Amino acid sequence: MQAAVLIAAAFAASAARADGYLPELQASAREQRLAEERGWIGLVHYERGLFGGWHSEASSSFFLSPRGADDPAGELDATLASFFSADGQCRFPARMAWLNSRLHFDFARLPLASCPKFEEFFGKIGARSITMVFSSYFLSSPASAFGHTLLRFDRTDGAEAGKHFELLDYGVNYSANVDTENALVYAVKGLLGVFPGQFSAIPYFYKVREYNDFESRDLWEYDLALTPQQVALVVAHIFELGATRFPYYYISRNCSYWLLAALEAAVPELDLLSHVGHVAVPADTVKALDSVPGLVRAVHYRPSIRSQFRRRAAELSGPELAQVAKLADEPWLTPVQRARVLDAELDLVDLRYGRGLLLGTDAPAMKLKQDLLERRSAVPVQSEELKPLPPLSQPDRGHGSMRVGLGGGGSTDTGEFAIFDFRLALHDLLDPVAGYPELAKLEFLPMRFRYNVRAQTLWLESAWLADVASVAPMDRFDQPLTWKMRAGALTLRDAGCNGCLAGAFETGGGASIAFFDDKLALLATGDATIVATPHLQGPSGWPARLGIGPSGAVRARLGDRLVMLGSAQWQYLPGAQPRSLFKLDASLRVALHGDLALSAELCRIPFATELTLGVFKYF
Amino acid sequence: MRKAIAVAALLLTAGSASAAPAYGTAGCGLGSVLFGSQPGFVQVVAATTNGIFGNQTFGITTGTLNCGPPATPAGARLFIDVNREALAKDMARGSGETIATLTQLTGCSDAKVVGATLQKNFSSIIPNEKVSSDIVADNVLATLKADKQLSCSAI
Repeated sequence: MQAAVLIAAAFAASAARADGYLPELQASAREQRLAEERGWIGLVHYERGLFGGWHSEASSSFFLSPRGADDPAGELDATLASFFSADGQCRFPARMAWLNSRLHFDFARLPLASCPKFEEFFGKIGARSITMVFSSYFLSSPASAFGHTLLRFDRTDGAEAGKHFELLDYGVNYSANVDTENALVYAVKGLLGVFPGQFSAIPYFYKVREYNDFESRDLWEYDLALTPQQVALVVAHIFELGATRFPYYYISRNCSYWLLAALEAAVPELDLLSHVGHVAVPADTVKALDSVPGLVRAVHYRPSIRSQFRRRAAELSGPELAQVAKLADEPWLTPVQRARVLDAELDLVDLRYGRGLLLGTDAPAMKLKQDLLERRSAVPVQSEELKPLPPLSQPDRGHGSMRVGLGGGGSTDTGEFAIFDFRLALHDLLDPVAGYPELAKLEFLPMRFRYNVRAQTLWLESAWLADVASVAPMDRFDQPLTWKMRAGALTLRDAGCNGCLAGAFETGGGASIAFFDDKLALLATGDATIVATPHLQGPSGWPARLGIGPSGAVRARLGDRLVMLGSAQWQYLPGAQPRSLFKLDASLRVALHGDLALSAELCRIPFATELTLGVFKYF
Repeated sequence: MRKAIAVAALLLTAGSASAAPAYGTAGCGLGSVLFGSQPGFVQVVAATTNGIFGNQTFGITTGTLNCGPPATPAGARLFIDVNREALAKDMARGSGETIATLTQLTGCSDAKVVGATLQKNFSSIIPNEKVSSDIVADNVLATLKADKQLSCSAI
């Protein structure tokens, strides 16, 4: 069989040479300058190099020409040559389809091969439409703190079939093959593109269980309006990418970038990548979809286990909630009430003990859940479908992830000053909340420069590599930790070394409570800070010092546009001068139309009281 | 979980032999069975050749792609294994997305009746928390098969 194919291929190749069809095609491609067309550039994933020219970062198996990575025309010639064998045609079905659309192959002279492997893949995936899935922010894991995106190849067209069994679709995921669990190693390797990234296809129910249940992340599903032909070309391109690896850059060439790149390669008329900058944040991916009018035909929300529990709890009365808190279902409840109470309790148990239940390591939790399951199944009431209430706004409606700010103010210590504020991504507790989690801060490279007019000095007031805070309110059902962490540099403003730029690491953990659907939140944490700079007099003469102490904050949101945050921090500095520090801060931000916001900050530190007014623009 | 992923990988790479009986469930009628073996590769090329082969034969239209994954007991077993925690809840509740999906996978007639049946038989399907997913799958499939009213066509 193998031999027969080889012989047929050899025959086809020699026949092609004999009648000169290959040179004819190659000449036609050159004449039309196909190698410079967007379609070809996209399919081989070429990008403009620093010094001009084209380069593709795909692993070597993706090229047919030895110089294919840097030579679009040579790769195109080699691809055409390969089509005179069955193996060549079947290796790159999307290239074949695109080149055919331009060169209109004469299939009498270029016999069309049969490709069982591709056909099997195509049939297995069975895509009728494509959905972009956004998995929301997951602060506990550095890999997915900014969210994640994947494609779903839909077997049934929801609108047409009336019922769409999404769990049976295939999810196409692009991810890094990570070889470390160390967050720091991950960060360094991820930033430098050391991990190889790859596409994979897996039934969507794996992804739903992983994200919705195991990590408790909401999913947003964006159904794309693509024609059946376009869908087929995307599938074909995913097939030809196969096991091709690309360097995975956490910031710029990540899941979000490559999913858009794959869509755009197969459907060059989609202009998506131009809407993603050097930082490809998953939320920007779904915004890029919005930039093509009509591309998103429907958006669905799939609630996390936490959102499901909250939705169920919202339907319950006070006495019923008291039952849920005790994981009880006392006999005075009617069957319908028992069903509702037990339904909520089951979600609560999954929320609390998800990992132990899944791994089978938490025997008491497994016993507890089994007990609740048996009690629930004994109530002959079939639960109604849960109608989830989506959060304030879907992620593509959120503010731009990059932020630039200008402002000025006055200080009782240094006089007037001007500030320039920049942040690469993504969101803080004062930014407009639509599309973002209400109580999370997730900033990558935020920095603020300050020019003191009187002294004519320029300060780097602060610059953080990352600044993260997860405010998770406790209630009687769930007692999560509220925590924060940041690392970077800041200008010290105390007698220890006034005006010195110091490296800094801060972390804290504590608790929070919230009211009015999280619009009002109170938090308290115990914090630890380490700062280091050569001019600092720390304990035993070290150029570093430790600060420990409590802090508290109040955050309130009025409507969709106004957020206020007040905070107080006191720290004891063992063995250093001064002995202690404090900081009081009251900030207010008003969101305006056009991705703009106004900001006011009043701050009291030992040396000074300062007021800063500014305007922020989000991109 | 790890085992389940291995099975899924197998399903992904399994031969088209297992796909053949897939086209037997609702929405995948005779037309799908007859045209279900259309080669996808030719379809993709045809998508751009616009009529070279004639739309009737090669167009990507309804019928060939609208069927679920192999509605075989192996597919259902994988589904039950991977979705065990969610399915257990849905069985106890007598309804939910995993019940609807399982109904589709097993070719049963009515998700509401499937839900009621699994709820009623819950304590024999998952008699205790230590029972393996294989046994749970056995019990789910046996329960559905035993109920003639459900006329599950793919167990």
